[in-house]
Amino acid sequence: MARALAVPHVRWVAQPAVAGWAAATLLGASLLPWSRAGRELGLWLADSTGIALASRSTLAAAVLVLAAVGVLVGLWPGFERSRGVVLVGVGLAGLAASCLVVGLRGTPLGPGAVVAVGGFLILTGVGLSSSGLWFVDPFLSTVVLWAAAFVVLFILLPLASVVVASVWVQGRLTTEVVQRTLTSPAFLALNHPGTPRNEVTTALVAGSLLSVLAAAARWRLGGGRRSIPAGLALGGAGASLMVLYGGFGAFRNSVLLAVVVGGVSTGLGFLFALLSERSQLPTRRLLGPLSVLPIITPPFVLGIAMLYLFGRRGFVTHRLFGLSTDVFFGPVGVAVAQVLAYTPIAYLVLVGVVRALDASLEDAAQTLGASPGYLLRTVVWPLARPGVANAFLLVAIESLADFANPIVVGGGKPFLATEVFFAIVGRYNPHEAATYGAVLLGLTLTVFVLQRRWVGGAFYVTVTGRPTGARPQPLPRWLDWAASGVFVLWMLLVALLYGSVFVGAVTRLWGFDYSFTLRHLQDLHPQGWHVLRTTARLSAYAAVPSVVVGFLIGYLVTRVRFPGRQVLEFSSMLSFATPGTVMGIGYVLAFNQGPLLLTGTELVIVLAFVFRNMPVAIRAAMAALEQIDPALEEASTTLGAGAGTTLRRVVAPLARSALLSGLVFAFVRAMTAVSQVVFLITPQHNLATTQILSYLEYGSQGRGAALASVLTLLLVAVVVSLQAVSRRLDPRAAHVGAG
Amino acid sequence: MAEGVPVRLRGVTKRFGTVVAVDSVDLDVPPGKLVTLLGPSGCGKTTTLRIVAGLERPTTGRVWIAEEDVTDLPAARRGVTMVFQSYALFPHLTVFENVAYGLRVQRLPAGEVRRRVQEVLDLVGLPETAQRYPAQLSGGQQQRVALARALVMQPRVLLFDEPLSNLDAKLRRRVRAEIRMLQQRLGITSLYVTHDQAEALALSDVVVVMNLGRVEQVGTPEAVYRRPRTRFVADFIGEANLLPATYRDGVVELAGYRFPIEQEEVPEGPVTLMVRPEAVLVAQDRLGLPGVVRTVFFMGMTTEVLVETPVGEVLATQPYRADRRPAPGQEVHLQFDAAGVYLLPGDGGR
Repeated sequence: MARALAVPHVRWVAQPAVAGWAAATLLGASLLPWSRAGRELGLWLADSTGIALASRSTLAAAVLVLAAVGVLVGLWPGFERSRGVVLVGVGLAGLAASCLVVGLRGTPLGPGAVVAVGGFLILTGVGLSSSGLWFVDPFLSTVVLWAAAFVVLFILLPLASVVVASVWVQGRLTTEVVQRTLTSPAFLALNHPGTPRNEVTTALVAGSLLSVLAAAARWRLGGGRRSIPAGLALGGAGASLMVLYGGFGAFRNSVLLAVVVGGVSTGLGFLFALLSERSQLPTRRLLGPLSVLPIITPPFVLGIAMLYLFGRRGFVTHRLFGLSTDVFFGPVGVAVAQVLAYTPIAYLVLVGVVRALDASLEDAAQTLGASPGYLLRTVVWPLARPGVANAFLLVAIESLADFANPIVVGGGKPFLATEVFFAIVGRYNPHEAATYGAVLLGLTLTVFVLQRRWVGGAFYVTVTGRPTGARPQPLPRWLDWAASGVFVLWMLLVALLYGSVFVGAVTRLWGFDYSFTLRHLQDLHPQGWHVLRTTARLSAYAAVPSVVVGFLIGYLVTRVRFPGRQVLEFSSMLSFATPGTVMGIGYVLAFNQGPLLLTGTELVIVLAFVFRNMPVAIRAAMAALEQIDPALEEASTTLGAGAGTTLRRVVAPLARSALLSGLVFAFVRAMTAVSQVVFLITPQHNLATTQILSYLEYGSQGRGAALASVLTLLLVAVVVSLQAVSRRLDPRAAHVGAG
Repeated sequence: MAEGVPVRLRGVTKRFGTVVAVDSVDLDVPPGKLVTLLGPSGCGKTTTLRIVAGLERPTTGRVWIAEEDVTDLPAARRGVTMVFQSYALFPHLTVFENVAYGLRVQRLPAGEVRRRVQEVLDLVGLPETAQRYPAQLSGGQQQRVALARALVMQPRVLLFDEPLSNLDAKLRRRVRAEIRMLQQRLGITSLYVTHDQAEALALSDVVVVMNLGRVEQVGTPEAVYRRPRTRFVADFIGEANLLPATYRDGVVELAGYRFPIEQEEVPEGPVTLMVRPEAVLVAQDRLGLPGVVRTVFFMGMTTEVLVETPVGEVLATQPYRADRRPAPGQEVHLQFDAAGVYLLPGDGGR
């Protein structure tokens, strides 16, 4: 007879697991030190163990007593629901007491405090579950609490610190810094003082004209009464862009850049997506590798390449055409570099959109006598529009957040992301940096919210999951050739750019002396290699927690109903929309003093990696879970398995190829991260990307190119071996079809 | 084998946002019996089943299994197993490991696991497939593995969520018979969800007809078929002609056709007459409800005749006879067999 199943439930039993967790909490809290001596993670204050503290502070004693009560509650054979309520009380009280002890001491946290807080969270979670207050598996309730704590500590707290730091200066609330920053011409100046005409007025007049024209055009096309607001909106947007175009400053540069790069990348991405789905020419095979490029390209590679090819002494501009131009050293150069980097992102979004366009709809329209142009305007475009908007907004976020290209190719022009950096590194003014950061955050968040509200759900319209058998119409011949031509040119340019960096790594002095040398590679010894090893080590540390935390949050968000689920999802996706420099300065501001002092340690770099990469893992998890029938998990549950067992024995094996690629991409993203860690590095823990930056800053371009080449090759090797392994791991390949 | 235990639901309501999926349902499953929840899609039958399983928690109301209130007990500890519509076999585990899954969760000794898995695989007639993966089995075999996986736990209650809907019609009949046989032999209390009325009638001790989250009628298969309480039940289970009629002193009258009926507790006055098509005789003589034949469908074993009468269209199912086939346009009279006739009060509720 089955033990747990056939015997009627005796609910007056002890819960040894609870006792175990409480005992672990008690042991850790009383024997491990609660404080560190300073920044160093390993230097603990021996007299700060829970036992030592308890003799001096009632609160600390209370923490230990509460943990002991937890043990007793677990051992006591009581009625389950009442025990749950008591546990929630013990957990919350313990949590509050622990936080108070930590806060009042004000010294950097030690392991004792971490164990205490984590342990009481577990007790609270288990209590919530068994009290019946929350009808969810105890493992999941605990995970929800942990995830919430992580998100609050490592995403919301840093972001809040940025906003606070902009208005909280030297102990008082003031908008002085904000005002000074926002009115400074480096941020935004609309009217050039040196010219007689008023640029704002000119732009406004032009904008109004444009809006009238747009409204009229729509009216003629049969837009009806809706033409007027549509025309006004278009004209308004046009006018503001024109005002910006006539102006100066970081805000203007970043916004215009985002709009232009978003538009161009989306257009190219759509063209390439059409090619990959509907071209009949062999070049479409190259589109797959194209989509992987931006992920494995370390920052600065494109920037260096732009300087090499199109800079003042660039190979193309100077050597081939004899020019000495600065055109590509400034916003235009940044725009080219960004278009090259972000078109694949737009392509990846749009290829899904184009694939989802149901070919039978087009067949239907054609049997009704629609011409290709009419078809495009009335069927394809309305269906693709949300996806196109999505691609545009995603690229705009990336462009706004980009730090590496503006700093290398920006030609000293201000951009929001780089001003955050220069305000700290050059002007030593964290409040100004915070102001820039807050503005940048506001911009990207607006775009992010727009993207989710507006197109987030709408873009799977025709995805039914059932293949329709209808084959998509091939592109018209002329379009196929023209688009393939653009694509080939594109590939050539990309090849040329990457090639120039590899060649630059073995060239004596680019622009002046093109003779071969291995000196740059030799010069990487010892510093470059050391930095590369550190980067790989820290990235590897960060990969596993990124995937575990990301996967659990992805699971919670897709499969578990709980209050605040959307808040959790939104806040964990926040770090996706948060520009790296903003997150970086947030970490500096939040973890520079008090109990949470972490700056200067390796841990803070690893944490920055983890919470930067987590959204990638969350998305991977959500995509993988969509492929898994929830009934499998329910079957496991009805067979008596807890959520932890179900995750380990059913979900994880089925998602293992997604888990593996999540792991690798977390590693790769950490290896290429720069903006979020540029403030966190120390001479002992320098990273490859920041090392490249400092090579460039000190004029050793060759050495920068050498390190960038080595890094690129390393990442290519990692990704290629991943693809080899994951093809063999794919569960569908082994035993076809899920239940 | 386990003694059957009763299952009881009282006032169970489940809301998803503003949608009421299950609306104050009371339900009793007697020990060892098989009870079917029958209704159209969206009637709340699956949600009710999932509430018994513990996969959903009712918004209000309580659930008892074996006289124990399990409303707050998580699914994993209810001693209830389930056969899923999609079978939900773990694709990465062999048949053996699928069936052994729940036993391994309980950390039973390897020998016992092997013995019990083999036993139950023999029981469902699949002793040879232990080392195969689910994807290598036919639909019917997968279905039986799913059943084996649920049975091996010796559950107190066995739940079925439309387990046959992925099988073709012939196989469905066979597996249906096997499920019924096993359930009766093992005496496990079972709750079975289906939208297929034939399946419900063939399998159940008791049928619970649900509509719009509410229980419409509870009864034996014969009772719900022959004595539907509402228009919905009459219409959903089998085919039914629902005709306006009047009832007085044990006699039904419609459009001049009068016949006696033996039914208790019928209010005098206007009623709705339910006639099963197989109880309608298309007669050539002058007795009965007059009408004109509209269309005739040849169905193989039977012939369906649609007749226009003064009280509406009536469908009649006639045994096939080559020599006597009504033709469209022909004037006929319809006579009703008392065994397939039932009166619903007023307009029959809705």
